[in-house]
Amino acid sequence: MIRGIYAIMVLDLKRVWIDRVRIITGLAQPLLYLFVLGAGLGGNVRSGGADFQRFIFPGVVGLSLLFSAVFAAIIIVFDRQVGFFKAVLVSPLPRAAIAYGKIASGAAQALIQGVILLPFAPLVGVHFGFASFFEMLGAMVLGAVAFSAMGVAAASRFTSTTVFPIISNALLLPMFFMAGALYPLRNAPHWMQVASHFDPVAYAVDLMRGSVLGVYFFPPWLSVAVQVVLVAGLGWMSLGVFNRGEDDSILGETQIKWRR
Amino acid sequence: MSVSAADTSADTQVPAVEVAGLEKRYGTVEALRGIDLTIRQGERFALLGPNGAGKTTLFSILATLRSPSGGSARVLGHDVVRERDAVRRSMGIVFQEPAIERKLTGRDNLLLMGLFYGLAPGEARRRAAELLASLGLDDAADRATEKLSGGQRRKLELARALVTNPRILFLDEATLGLDVDARRSFWSHVGTLAAAGRTVFFTTHYMEEAEVADRIALISSGRIIALDTPRALKARLGGGVISLQTDDDVRAREWLAGRGFTPEPGGPELRLVHLDPASILPELLKNLPVTVQRVEVHAPSLEDVFLKLTGRGLAAGGGGA
Repeated sequence: MIRGIYAIMVLDLKRVWIDRVRIITGLAQPLLYLFVLGAGLGGNVRSGGADFQRFIFPGVVGLSLLFSAVFAAIIIVFDRQVGFFKAVLVSPLPRAAIAYGKIASGAAQALIQGVILLPFAPLVGVHFGFASFFEMLGAMVLGAVAFSAMGVAAASRFTSTTVFPIISNALLLPMFFMAGALYPLRNAPHWMQVASHFDPVAYAVDLMRGSVLGVYFFPPWLSVAVQVVLVAGLGWMSLGVFNRGEDDSILGETQIKWRR
Repeated sequence: MSVSAADTSADTQVPAVEVAGLEKRYGTVEALRGIDLTIRQGERFALLGPNGAGKTTLFSILATLRSPSGGSARVLGHDVVRERDAVRRSMGIVFQEPAIERKLTGRDNLLLMGLFYGLAPGEARRRAAELLASLGLDDAADRATEKLSGGQRRKLELARALVTNPRILFLDEATLGLDVDARRSFWSHVGTLAAAGRTVFFTTHYMEEAEVADRIALISSGRIIALDTPRALKARLGGGVISLQTDDDVRAREWLAGRGFTPEPGGPELRLVHLDPASILPELLKNLPVTVQRVEVHAPSLEDVFLKLTGRGLAAGGGGA
């Protein structure tokens, strides 16, 4: 089991290493938010430019974690149809190892994207102390695992490579905007404050922001609890999905032909 | 070396494959309509059939990729549904489509496969090196697999299937699209594996590949319509085959039918199976009311058997599995 999770992670991280240019290009979007959107908007809001960039820094890290975790999960949909993963699915590897391995490797990939943003922190006025650095890191790990579990639970349900990105985009952006990543939830309209309670991204971002600014919107224990419960629940869900559906997905193409 | 006899401690009396009354339905389509089949350990067994005959379905059920709608199937004594993992541990499989990671090197692919089958990292590394050497892939081992030739990639697929030293190998159209040399090289490796006591169960479109099998099953419309050694199958036709090409095959066919001959239906040319072709040929050539462009007498090939039994060539038929 542990060996299986390890094997899945080795496979995925080797692939990431081969496509390591993508890690650099993956920096573009968060840096754009941080330095362009952040500077532009920051100059026009009351809190002042530097303060605003400092405020959105944890949100941008959250954005980076969220999108790279879900992107890592999208690969599962492709993998099921062609390539090495097919051989993995016919191995006696426990299905749990596949599910948990995929969640772990997605989280690791997201963390890589998130951690390379940390050196930019001083440029926007975020200075970590010893404790706050590890608080931030802990919050990032938790968030990465939660987002990866979301991605895997969703991706393992889809066999179509075209539908999944559309659906995930339709969900990801609203989740990101409602998470208070780019503005304080405290001053947001009441409905958004209510909605954010159902948005896992909001808890993750708030926990990270707390470690940077020392101010929380949700109680920290609640943010941790919500994410732990989420990971447990989604992990359990993805298990079932890797168990079922081999009949349909491995030779998916042929199956579809029959059904039509 | 990898081709040493596979786990001989296990009972060699258990059939490698044992199938009884196997059925598979996709909605209203009956892909398999009652298959019975027993394959001994160490046998090289070929499954032939036109597209849509149920070949891939039968193959997939034995390889635990699909579940049957009725009947039972056992591989090395293990039920393919209830003891799926036991079957998976004892088999190696080469898919028709590539199942190696294109961006990774061959060595990494094999190493990872070893990990997936529960080998310790050191053991997996040793096994990978061993397989690469035995399949003559040493030179290609450390290049990304997408840069390899088709033949090398297929051999790598074979190596991947062999990582766990399986007692039974499933090959699904494993050499599709390869040139003759690459195919020959691939099958010579498979031959070595079979000689070491492994069971090899394969499907193919190439007749000369089926010839190496110990036994062949012909499958058509979800049923096994013939099951025998290649020689016995060919002997069924008896005598020889006369192939004719004329300027008017339709008229020639009518004429032959009128004289009490039964030309084979289908096929690209006129084929006539006869116990003693040499004795009737001169008379045929003299009396045929059409111009004969080419004539050939040969011993029956598997292709002839196939045409006779199914009424169509192997390559013919629509899509589907």
